[in-house]
Amino acid sequence: MAGTVKLEKLGKPGVFINCDTFDDDAKSASHDNGMPTVRRRIIKSSEFYKLRGTVKDIRPLVEKVFDELIDALTRPLTSGEANPPGAKEEVDGPPEITITGESFPIAIEEFNQQFLEKRWGDGLPLVPPTPERVGWMLSGTVRSPHEVIGKVNPRQGAATIEKIAINAVMAGAKPEYLPVIIAAMEALTDENFDDLHILVSAGSFSLIIVVGGPIADEINMNSGIGFLGHGWRANNTIGRAVRLATLNIGKMWPGANDMGLTGRVSPHTFYTFAENAKLSPWKPYHASRGFKAGDSTVTVATIGGSSPMQNFYGGMIGTWTAQGILDNMVADIIRTDRGLFGLWGAKGVGQYPGSGVGARSHFILLFPELAEELKKMGFDQKSLQDEIYRRTSVRYEELSPADRRGIQTGMETGVVPPERKAVFQEALKPGGMVSVLITPENLHFFVAGGAPGCAFSFSYFRLPPYNRIAVLTRLVTGATLTKAGALE
Amino acid sequence: MSKKSVELAVLNPRGKVEARSSFAPNPRVKELAGKRVGLYSNGKPGMDNFYTVLEELLKKKFPSVTVKLLTGAFEITDRDAKDWAPQIDTFVYGVGD
Repeated sequence: MAGTVKLEKLGKPGVFINCDTFDDDAKSASHDNGMPTVRRRIIKSSEFYKLRGTVKDIRPLVEKVFDELIDALTRPLTSGEANPPGAKEEVDGPPEITITGESFPIAIEEFNQQFLEKRWGDGLPLVPPTPERVGWMLSGTVRSPHEVIGKVNPRQGAATIEKIAINAVMAGAKPEYLPVIIAAMEALTDENFDDLHILVSAGSFSLIIVVGGPIADEINMNSGIGFLGHGWRANNTIGRAVRLATLNIGKMWPGANDMGLTGRVSPHTFYTFAENAKLSPWKPYHASRGFKAGDSTVTVATIGGSSPMQNFYGGMIGTWTAQGILDNMVADIIRTDRGLFGLWGAKGVGQYPGSGVGARSHFILLFPELAEELKKMGFDQKSLQDEIYRRTSVRYEELSPADRRGIQTGMETGVVPPERKAVFQEALKPGGMVSVLITPENLHFFVAGGAPGCAFSFSYFRLPPYNRIAVLTRLVTGATLTKAGALE
Repeated sequence: MSKKSVELAVLNPRGKVEARSSFAPNPRVKELAGKRVGLYSNGKPGMDNFYTVLEELLKKKFPSVTVKLLTGAFEITDRDAKDWAPQIDTFVYGVGD
């Protein structure tokens, strides 16, 4: 829809075609893009998706809608279309809502019912965000409730500290978690972070939310066995607070403007965990992102959709060696990314060359026992990145002409960043070796879990479709109830 | 005492969306004869087939029409929009979704 409005603003009259499944989404997007009366014509999803495979099959559908499209292009605008409703601020209801009931349990039930009917909940029971409870939540930060930290897609709702706190209460979080939740929201609403793709794409993409540094222990996050599971309030409610805050501040709903076809695995909490600083033999992840090892941080990163995890094995059933698991990582990355060279040169599906296609980033979770074994082999995170980068290289002579064209075009369009260009110029010649990764830094290592050692990973596009970055680390600041994160 | 004896005040969790300027679409072309009609696709498979038929039907009904096909990003890039707009009089924008 944004593209249609862009062309209209350049003076060209047009019509936007959408499937009926996406009609609410298209209406909402036309409003958000400032042209609520844009001409649209609808085709049936039940016909389009099945018939579009061949010219012969799609012909009857095009013939059926042909006159409608001609009409949309030529029939003069109605008065209503030519005079769209004026701009006004959008608020959903009053700042405070009163719920009544014959008893407290009935009022709580009524509250949950009303919020879910308004699409203000996530389907699980909510904690009522009473003014007292929200005040209690805000006691976890020195930051002003009125501070706007950013805007949440798709509706560009303003994320204030107070709104984040309200949603954190609803999620069941505690005040000492609030600075962590705020840091996660700061990352998601960063002007360069692609929150749109994770929040509404048909691919049902998801998030990892990784807490690093001493605050994880202070708020009692589980970073050992079962770190992605249930049973720890911080692990389970920090992610839920982010889920509710994005849902309510960005205003999305499944099938309306969140078009994730399957919905997300771990839909209520995303994948929220902490690094295991006590057992890790290495510096925390955020030390590789320009932060001090002793800082407390939150990293958010978009990951794949309905089957997001790749297992590199280890564990307690089969016997394993660190070398064997490392070999599995290398083999898997080559298997999944080897076929993408040709797409390095793709125009991309967004504003930037290569966006949403081509080379990928890998987020690899190592259990501490495995990290310890890798350390014995001489690896830290940096040298492990370099090792995997080197071993995931393909001989120039094995590259197809399409592979070579893709890499060359990627160098010319900036998909390969300027600082990496010389590396690929040197590699893309007889005798050269070209890695399937654009840079070793596209491998991200987190140490979590316990014994036995094992490893698995998530992956995602290195360049997301709708913005510049899909992984970002933010410092936890403004905490009042923990030593960590207390300083700006 | 009222039967509804419990009142629970809760705060609104929804984000405020700033007022945005609204624009009207452009006046339509009066007819397609002699016009340059743009067909934009984001490249998802199938829209090319849809447009193959649409182009054929357009040219059959309006022989003097010129069709300008463009396949690009999910949402047309700023650069493509600026390059393409001068080449067309009106357009159809199909995203395949």
